[in-house]
Amino acid sequence: MPRIARIFVKTGMLYFLAALLVGVALEIPFLNFPVLLPLFWHMLMVGWITQIIFGVSLWMFPGRVREEGFKAQKLGWLTYTFLNVGLVLRIVAEPVLSYSHATIWNILIFISASFQVVAAVTYVIEMWPRIQSKKQRRKNRRKQKRS
Amino acid sequence: MPAPSRWMIRSSLIYLLVGVLIGASLLLEKAYPIFPQLWVLLPVHIEILIFGFIIQFTLGTAYWILPRFLEGKPRGNPLAAKLIVGLLNSGIILNVMSFLNIVHKEGTLVGRSLEVASVILFVSLHWNRIASYRK
Repeated sequence: MPRIARIFVKTGMLYFLAALLVGVALEIPFLNFPVLLPLFWHMLMVGWITQIIFGVSLWMFPGRVREEGFKAQKLGWLTYTFLNVGLVLRIVAEPVLSYSHATIWNILIFISASFQVVAAVTYVIEMWPRIQSKKQRRKNRRKQKRS
Repeated sequence: MPAPSRWMIRSSLIYLLVGVLIGASLLLEKAYPIFPQLWVLLPVHIEILIFGFIIQFTLGTAYWILPRFLEGKPRGNPLAAKLIVGLLNSGIILNVMSFLNIVHKEGTLVGRSLEVASVILFVSLHWNRIASYRK
């Protein structure tokens, strides 16, 4: 299992735990802030499920670069960074947005939304050419051997 | 990777991009409330990302990766697999059209039924592939 996949899966597990804790907080009357509900769902669906899908697919899909490191697996690492920075910024800024009118929180939300879009784009750029039939895979392998 | 898996995974990636773009617009609307009409897209965002991306991606990957049959067609009836793709995507599109009031609201009943039909077909096609061939 490559490092990028391990880090995706482990981060996903931490979000899973954190999401369930937020879920518990939502059931306690004095902790039940309505702003926590979208955070609960996004920590679960983006932080846990999407992150696991990204990590496992980067590892299991054909055409993986076996060399480790940022340079060799640039798109994977960019996806990880943009997705997690984007999600953390949302977790920090979204609850405060309802109580504070300071511009900084709006800017953080803007960065969060943009980063999550960039993460989806970098992931699709990485995965799209790796969705191959057996025939295409053989052809690509032959090409790689020749070069 | 067989063709139905490739279709499902590629479609799911397109749904991911569309769903994330809608989600980002909704998040921005919270910070800069300029177009409150955007909130009609919330059920579309949920449908596209849960059914279009997450569910479709996992079904497509499962069809490719689960153990194959040792005799006969390795992944069962290929027509059934194509039908799974067609039914699931028709269901998603019909639901989205219904949420956007392009078709009647009752369209979601048909949309959800198409998704159920797709999942029933998926379960029946894969049930016997969940096996171990080790003695």
